[in-house]
Amino acid sequence: MNKKVRFFAEQLLIVLNIFIAFLVLFADKLVLPYWLQPVGRMHPFLLHFPIVLLILAMIFELFRFSYGSDATSPYRQYAEGFLLGGALLSGITVIMGLFLSREEGYEGDTLVLHKWTGVAIFYIASLIYMVSKKQWYKAPAAWLCAFVMVSALIMTGHYGATLSHGEDFILQPIIANIKAPVVPIEKAIVFEHVIQPILDKKCTGCHNTNKLKGQLALTDSLSMLKGGKSGKLFVPGNPDLSLMLERVHLSPEEKKHMPPAGKPQLTQEEIDLLALWIKDDADFHKKVTDLEAGDSLRLMATAVLKPEDEGTEKFDFSAADEKTIAKLNTFYRTIAPIAIESPGLDVNIYNRSAYSVKQLEEMSDIKKQVVALNLNKMPVKDEDLKSVSQFENLRRLDLNFTDITDKALDALIPLKHLHTLSLSGTKITYSGLKQKIAAFKNLKTISLWNTGIASTDIAALKQGNKEITFIEGFRDDGKDSLKLNPPQVKNAVMVFDQDLAVQLRHPIKGVQIRYTTDGTEPDSIHSPVFDGNTVINKNTTVKAKAFKAGWYSSDVATFDFLKNSFIPDSVQLLFPLNDVHQAEGAHTFFNKKLGVIGANNPAWANYWAGARSKDMVLVSLFNKPITLKSVGLHYMLEENTGIYPPALVEVWGGENEKQAKLLLTIKPSPPAKGGKPSLKIVEGSFQPHSVSYLKIIAKPHKQKKDEHLLLVDEMFLN
Amino acid sequence: MDKEILEHGFSWNRRRFLSTMGMGVGSLALGSLLMPDLFSNGGIEEGLTPGIPHFAPKAKRVIYLFQNGAPSQQELFDYKPKLREMNGKEMPPSVRGNQRLTGMTANQAHFPLVGSFVDFKQYGNSRAWISDLLPYTAKIADELCIIKSMYTEAINHDPALTFLQTGSQQGNRPSMGAWLSYGLGNENKNLPAFTVLLSRGVGNGQGVYSKLWSNGFLDSIHQGVQFSKGEDPVLYLRDQEGMDRKARRDMLDNIAELNELSYQEFGDPEIAAKVKQYEMAYRMQTAVPEVMDLSKEPDDIVKLYGPECLVPGTFAANCLLARKLSENGVRFVQLYHQGWDQHGNLPFEIAKQAKDVDQASAALVTDLKQRGLLDETLVIWGGEFGRTSYTQGTLEKDNYGRDHHPRCFSIWMAGGGVKPGIVYGETDELGYNIIKDPVHVHDFQATVLNQLGLDHKKLIFKHLGRRYRLTDISGEVVKGIIS
Repeated sequence: MNKKVRFFAEQLLIVLNIFIAFLVLFADKLVLPYWLQPVGRMHPFLLHFPIVLLILAMIFELFRFSYGSDATSPYRQYAEGFLLGGALLSGITVIMGLFLSREEGYEGDTLVLHKWTGVAIFYIASLIYMVSKKQWYKAPAAWLCAFVMVSALIMTGHYGATLSHGEDFILQPIIANIKAPVVPIEKAIVFEHVIQPILDKKCTGCHNTNKLKGQLALTDSLSMLKGGKSGKLFVPGNPDLSLMLERVHLSPEEKKHMPPAGKPQLTQEEIDLLALWIKDDADFHKKVTDLEAGDSLRLMATAVLKPEDEGTEKFDFSAADEKTIAKLNTFYRTIAPIAIESPGLDVNIYNRSAYSVKQLEEMSDIKKQVVALNLNKMPVKDEDLKSVSQFENLRRLDLNFTDITDKALDALIPLKHLHTLSLSGTKITYSGLKQKIAAFKNLKTISLWNTGIASTDIAALKQGNKEITFIEGFRDDGKDSLKLNPPQVKNAVMVFDQDLAVQLRHPIKGVQIRYTTDGTEPDSIHSPVFDGNTVINKNTTVKAKAFKAGWYSSDVATFDFLKNSFIPDSVQLLFPLNDVHQAEGAHTFFNKKLGVIGANNPAWANYWAGARSKDMVLVSLFNKPITLKSVGLHYMLEENTGIYPPALVEVWGGENEKQAKLLLTIKPSPPAKGGKPSLKIVEGSFQPHSVSYLKIIAKPHKQKKDEHLLLVDEMFLN
Repeated sequence: MDKEILEHGFSWNRRRFLSTMGMGVGSLALGSLLMPDLFSNGGIEEGLTPGIPHFAPKAKRVIYLFQNGAPSQQELFDYKPKLREMNGKEMPPSVRGNQRLTGMTANQAHFPLVGSFVDFKQYGNSRAWISDLLPYTAKIADELCIIKSMYTEAINHDPALTFLQTGSQQGNRPSMGAWLSYGLGNENKNLPAFTVLLSRGVGNGQGVYSKLWSNGFLDSIHQGVQFSKGEDPVLYLRDQEGMDRKARRDMLDNIAELNELSYQEFGDPEIAAKVKQYEMAYRMQTAVPEVMDLSKEPDDIVKLYGPECLVPGTFAANCLLARKLSENGVRFVQLYHQGWDQHGNLPFEIAKQAKDVDQASAALVTDLKQRGLLDETLVIWGGEFGRTSYTQGTLEKDNYGRDHHPRCFSIWMAGGGVKPGIVYGETDELGYNIIKDPVHVHDFQATVLNQLGLDHKKLIFKHLGRRYRLTDISGEVVKGIIS
């Protein structure tokens, strides 16, 4: 070989070594300009040359120490020439391959293997070329190199072929024959396409007409009906009594367990399928679609027959212009591809007041691409659907609670891909649908809830169109009576000063509220019906109950309305409150905010003023004297957590502090052990007395060392 | 000879070295031409446009009925007759192994097993065992995919809840809903993509904090928006008295101008996010009342969801509202129902908790189905972990409690391309360890994303030099539950 050429080629090899190392190292960051892509695409063409050259070189290497011991012999010249040429070409092929790998559609484990074995070939070839002149490079080394090189070539070639032709390309014709062809669900027969494949996979290896283990063949219906040595295989309709399942269900250690230990076992799904098929009378001819829509066997069979992974549906139309899509996207019309790189578009239209048929008409530029359209709750009219019919590739259309009628269906018939149609809450009728449903060739699911189509009519539709799933939904047949929830009170505050119009309500339409004010439980006959005209002028406990036909009456709701006639002009507490029960301090007692039971509630944490070690002593002053007749305290009682009534309440009143007299003393009894938590009032009245100065003392309960908590949220001065 | 070889090796002269290296460097330079990003610092993850699914989704929206506090699986979905048989007997230590316990039971001297107080029956085509506490859920067994083999890594409420929602036990990562908002964008541009609804039952409750619906390091437009039960479902959305739409519009336009100036000066993307939020709030002023309007709901709806559905703030009302939000294109509606933490007094409390949620949960599934929406809406029901097979505290005749148990718990999913009418996974006969098809929290999250057309390994956001995923660095799609 010309020395100059050789020197140049060797230099080139070094360059390639570095370049490829670099490319491989940063392969993820490689961004290929479009004009370099053709270079990458030459990879499948060029790769054949290095393969041939390197194989030749390796053959030469094998016999090099027999024929080419002289470094200048033509044998060595050729050998080195082939090797160098092969190494260089493999390098270029690797670069092209790396370029090609950056294009779409190349990924996965095979690619990784192909890439690394390919890169390895290049470096092995370079290495052999460089070390072959070394002293220690002898026959065994040469053979080893040749072996490694040829193995790498075979592996790389195989992975490469897998990439371009797909897995099992060579054996495909044979495998394809074995694999059951995919059957469309409408044509599938339960036994032939679901049950038989299970038997073929797990049973007929032994139970076939040639081997006949246990004198049983499971290869065809006749042999199956005949059974084997131990008797009939199954009892149609009764899987539990069927020998086949009995054997399957035996514990795997049992000798008679089938399939025998060591053989591939039936999966739970397969066992279920066999059981369901037998339960369904072991019919050999029944189609999958002959079964009821919700039938377990049908559901499971459908799942089995469905192709493994559909992935993103491939459409036969091209994508719409991105700018057009962006332009058509508005706040009230969202248009988005169903997935990255899918031409199909999903369109949602929202906001009733913004809807007009123009929103549909405007989409004529993307009429091919729209595959799903949601118009739920829009005021869509029958004639608007003419604009929907332009979307020739529409798969799914939602028209729930639109204003359409039977007429609208005509416009949808031409949509030959339509498989899902939602018509719930529309004026579609049975007669309209019955006539036209057959024209929808591809329809799989239709929702008809809340349309006024009777259950019996939907049953008839189901009967006539077995390939379609009809969704009927919930219908209140009045059989399932529920208990009403109790009435609610609408008054914002429950504390009033003079009189108060009681406001009760119930969220459910047509409910009658009956109530009492005397503490008795309201009933549906004697108690007055609440009509909004109830006015109270004193502390009143209203008990109310809700009634409605078709419902159980509610629990009794109890509302305490509390009267407080006077609000002091200034208030002051003589002792500090308990640290954690401050509420609003002295103002707590006349802020009309009532606390509740239940420590998780803010009204528990924030509305109760508490006293424990010190007495609760409130001094109130009035600018103008009031005539006071009674005083009351609203407190909480929770015996088990130690929240007690006051031990003693004293009320002192007069013109001023000095002239104040003891007006009232109450000693509430301590609570009963284990009583339920409740809210109570301690109240007492006295001779009307003119008061400008008022002192209310409430002492917490003390039993020996136990100090109990007193919680008060409001006081009532009347 | 060796010496000569060695010398030959060293005999590279400067010219040869430079010419060879020169070519080497040249080849590097050539290579770097093809890699524009080689020396750049990264930034937004390329390759996947946020806002579009990676592949065609089965589900477009999610409604997550979170049962906060950890409902006891032994009383609801995981039927364990063996526990009744062994009621009061000591939990075999071999079953527990080296499982860490909470501080509440770690010091217990005995771990008496406790059988469920409630009976179970089988329902639907899958013959799923469902407790008598859930009669309505039992009726829709054929729609449900019950997973009895969920497990988690956390043993206390807050970390477990945070883990389930954000993929990390510590707060500060984006919530699942925020990830979806980031990955899929708004379906309805007049409503937030991620909303949150809260309710509480009578049982022992555990806290729910806004960090659970945080956007983490994602744009703040992906944050969950809480709808509350009061007069104003979305706080501060209503115009003040005397302000008309026009005045509001003018105000927003003027603020937007100021913000634009500020954006040009500082370039902070949060300014742009703020402008977007203002605009969204403006459109929400009309969209939210339309969604909240119950007057157009058919009368049957009340019977379906139960009468409580008209009482704002209840779980039933939130379920109904969830359907309405979802139907209006809200990607992720997150409900939290508090009160499932039955350390004691379990029989009494869980019965009430179950009654609170049973009818409305089932109603939601039925309602979505009858509108043809169930196939594209994924409904999830479950808590943050399970409860122990042994009692917490002393076992009384008809009262007991159960402590936290991360090793197994039950949830269900419906719709959204999840296999209907199946029971997935199994626990041992004491209901303590999973014996078949375990589903880790990350597996669950990967599956949810998968149903929405997102590859959990590709839904990535780069933050502080690290690429973050909802599933952190693990998670496999649970193939067995998707159709």
